[in-house]
Amino acid sequence: MSPSITLGQYLPGNSLVHHLSPRIKIAVLIILLILLFSLQNFIALAVMFALVLMLLAASRIPLRYFIKGLRPILLIILFALVIYIFFTKGGVVLLRIGSFTIESEGLRQGLFVITRLLVLIILSLLVTLTTTPLSLTHGMGYYLKPLSKVGLPTEEIAMVMAIALRFIPTLMEESQRLMRAQVSRGADFETGSIFRRAKNLVPLIVPLFISAFRRADDLALAMEARGYRLGAKRTRLHEDVIATRDWAALLFVLALLAVSFYFKL
Amino acid sequence: MGNLPESLIKARELGYHYVGDGENIYPALKGINLDVRRGEYLAVIGPNGSGKTTLLKLFNALLDPSEGEVLVEGISTVEHDKIPMIRQICGMIFQNPDNQLVATTVEEDIAFGLENLNIPSAEIRQRVVEVARRLRLDKLLLHPPHQLSGGEKQRVAIAGILAMRPRCILMDEPTAMLDPAGSKEVLQTVSDLHKNEGIAIVHITHFPEEAVFADRVAVVNNGCLVKEGSPEVILTDLKLLHEFGLIGTPAVELAALLRNDGFKIPNETLHNRELVRALCSFRPIN
Amino acid sequence: MFIQTDKLTHIYMQGTPFAAEALSDISFSLAKGRVALLLGPSGSGKSTLIQHLNGLLKPTSGQVYFNGNPVGGSKAELLKLRRRIGLVFQMPEEQFFSESVYDEVAFAPRNLGLADRELDHRVERALARVGLEPALFTKRHPFHLSSGQKRLVALAAVLSLEPEVLILDEPTAGLDPAGRRRLYTLLDDLNKKEGLTLLIATHHFDEAVALAEQVLVLYKGKLAMDGSRNKIFSNREELVKLGLALPPITEIMHDLADSGLPVNRDIYTLEEARTEINNLKGSGKNES
Repeated sequence: MSPSITLGQYLPGNSLVHHLSPRIKIAVLIILLILLFSLQNFIALAVMFALVLMLLAASRIPLRYFIKGLRPILLIILFALVIYIFFTKGGVVLLRIGSFTIESEGLRQGLFVITRLLVLIILSLLVTLTTTPLSLTHGMGYYLKPLSKVGLPTEEIAMVMAIALRFIPTLMEESQRLMRAQVSRGADFETGSIFRRAKNLVPLIVPLFISAFRRADDLALAMEARGYRLGAKRTRLHEDVIATRDWAALLFVLALLAVSFYFKL
Repeated sequence: MGNLPESLIKARELGYHYVGDGENIYPALKGINLDVRRGEYLAVIGPNGSGKTTLLKLFNALLDPSEGEVLVEGISTVEHDKIPMIRQICGMIFQNPDNQLVATTVEEDIAFGLENLNIPSAEIRQRVVEVARRLRLDKLLLHPPHQLSGGEKQRVAIAGILAMRPRCILMDEPTAMLDPAGSKEVLQTVSDLHKNEGIAIVHITHFPEEAVFADRVAVVNNGCLVKEGSPEVILTDLKLLHEFGLIGTPAVELAALLRNDGFKIPNETLHNRELVRALCSFRPIN
Repeated sequence: MFIQTDKLTHIYMQGTPFAAEALSDISFSLAKGRVALLLGPSGSGKSTLIQHLNGLLKPTSGQVYFNGNPVGGSKAELLKLRRRIGLVFQMPEEQFFSESVYDEVAFAPRNLGLADRELDHRVERALARVGLEPALFTKRHPFHLSSGQKRLVALAAVLSLEPEVLILDEPTAGLDPAGRRRLYTLLDDLNKKEGLTLLIATHHFDEAVALAEQVLVLYKGKLAMDGSRNKIFSNREELVKLGLALPPITEIMHDLADSGLPVNRDIYTLEEARTEINNLKGSGKNES
């Protein structure tokens, strides 16, 4: 009954970012990440941050989803900032508390690191929030296709990943129910040494495995009944068509990358 | 269009046995001769382990017969290159709503069978939208399966089959894991498809209440077809039903008891209203 | 009152934009030794309510009481509660993880810290209570049993706690007619012969009604009806509005009464219906 908010769940929408081709979004993400981690110039990084914020606005996804996505690493970000501010020395001394100093280099590097982290998370969220998990899977499958020449069954792997995605919420609900059922029989999953807790997990793991195998059996039968055959060619409901705006986006980020290398940003 | 065979599915001396580890052979079906006529609603009832599910799997070419044959529109199910066609003609719905939905959204799942048939994308989209509208799933197209109720999940499964334009839908206890509201939803949907579009239905069920809506009822026990006939004849034959651990609907069971007590109730009383009508002639004189 | 709730409310994901009220202001009480049915359409909150009664879930507001004491507290206290209130989930055989029926049934009392000899007694008693001969079943592998037997073993696995209350969620799901009848006969025995208090949450209450004394109806998280079996099932229109139907036999009796026949409506079993309708003889005219 509980609605599940998985990190990075797809949110339907009509924005420019939503309409970009999934394959292009993956490529753009990778290029932007390369750019992100190669930038040394602080101003360039700030410009990139601003750009990313503009993308965020363009996606028309409410801010609270990004905040929710950032929450897990908020602690890490703050921790990193504190470490850099208090322990990295260099440049101008900004503050003196007794024999303890905060210096500008520490602040600079701290801000650098957290800006990088923020941009990384926001960009990733942008992709997962505006693209269905299935089309992301297919997109990645596309880039893995060359591997099929060496015998890797990329189509089937993509299918397996898609099915796994489909069942994650279902399996989560099932394991929660199962845990409660075993707790009602007096099971304790929390106390004890790590060995004790691992042993206590048996009443959880065994039934889940058995249920997973049964699901797989049923699902395979249902898929076969609907005409699925391993290795056969299949069409798709949503074809990933690359339009002009996709090429434009790709060229844009490649240009950014080129500029940054040229000016040694 | 030529002569379409009267029988959509023909089972001739059909037999199947499972091979266990070692030399163990488990017979599941023997000597089944059964026709499913075009546009007919056939209910199949029988105790657990009677072979009903195996029968359905043989109709849909998920299994090859051990003896005899199954012809679907004249095509034998052992012609393996024709299997895609057979599975398009006869679609199958299973008991567990969750374990037959394969995609991350409703529309992708409905499209699954069409993708397997290599139908071009534009046509897939069109059929998905059309079928969703017919089964009132249009608002749910972008929803993930885990957010749907049991009844909705089964309707999505039906939609996925319907999109393939089947002539027959095989259902293996489709309401077994649903609550009463979900069961009603599914049965109503299927009944509408049968009435409005002439799609044949083969419906395996435990519940005699569900079999009353069929055109014909077949009783299977221990791998054999024991008897078949109209619901009025089969579902009121308590001697037959009880012999195989099945029970009649409350109206049928009560009618039988009252008949023994001397009440005049027609033998083929099946529905509550018929029983009530028969008993109403006992209005007290004052 | 044995089990009692006072203005029990449960809100999922409180404080988030996805908050939903699963239970609102539920107050009811269940006396010792009683059999109560918990009815309601899917999503009405039955499972959520049940999970509050043995402390699996904590109320957002309101309180649950067992034998006068508030439910909750430390893990030790909750464990003590769970040896007195047994909860049987839907399809309980899906929890099996052991290689022998003995281990499966002994799991719960073992968690209570009981010694080996006591465990043996508990397992034997529990299996005997559900009608499975201990000598024949303790060594068997649970996965090799028939579905009806698996269900009984799962029930024994909770009965080995020797609880005073048994709460069951859809106890007959997946069973065939014979299995259903056997289960309800068993539950009836447990209640009548051993005084076990029963709370049965189910959609399929055809057989359950025969045992029920009290009926609770949930609708969209609220307690819509609470009363004796006769009181609840005399109100067909109200039940239909709440998404429920009458038990089939009772439905027939209502239809007969509505058609003018002088029959009682409070009939729940085939035998009762037969007796009641036979009372019409002697006052009617068309006998064969």
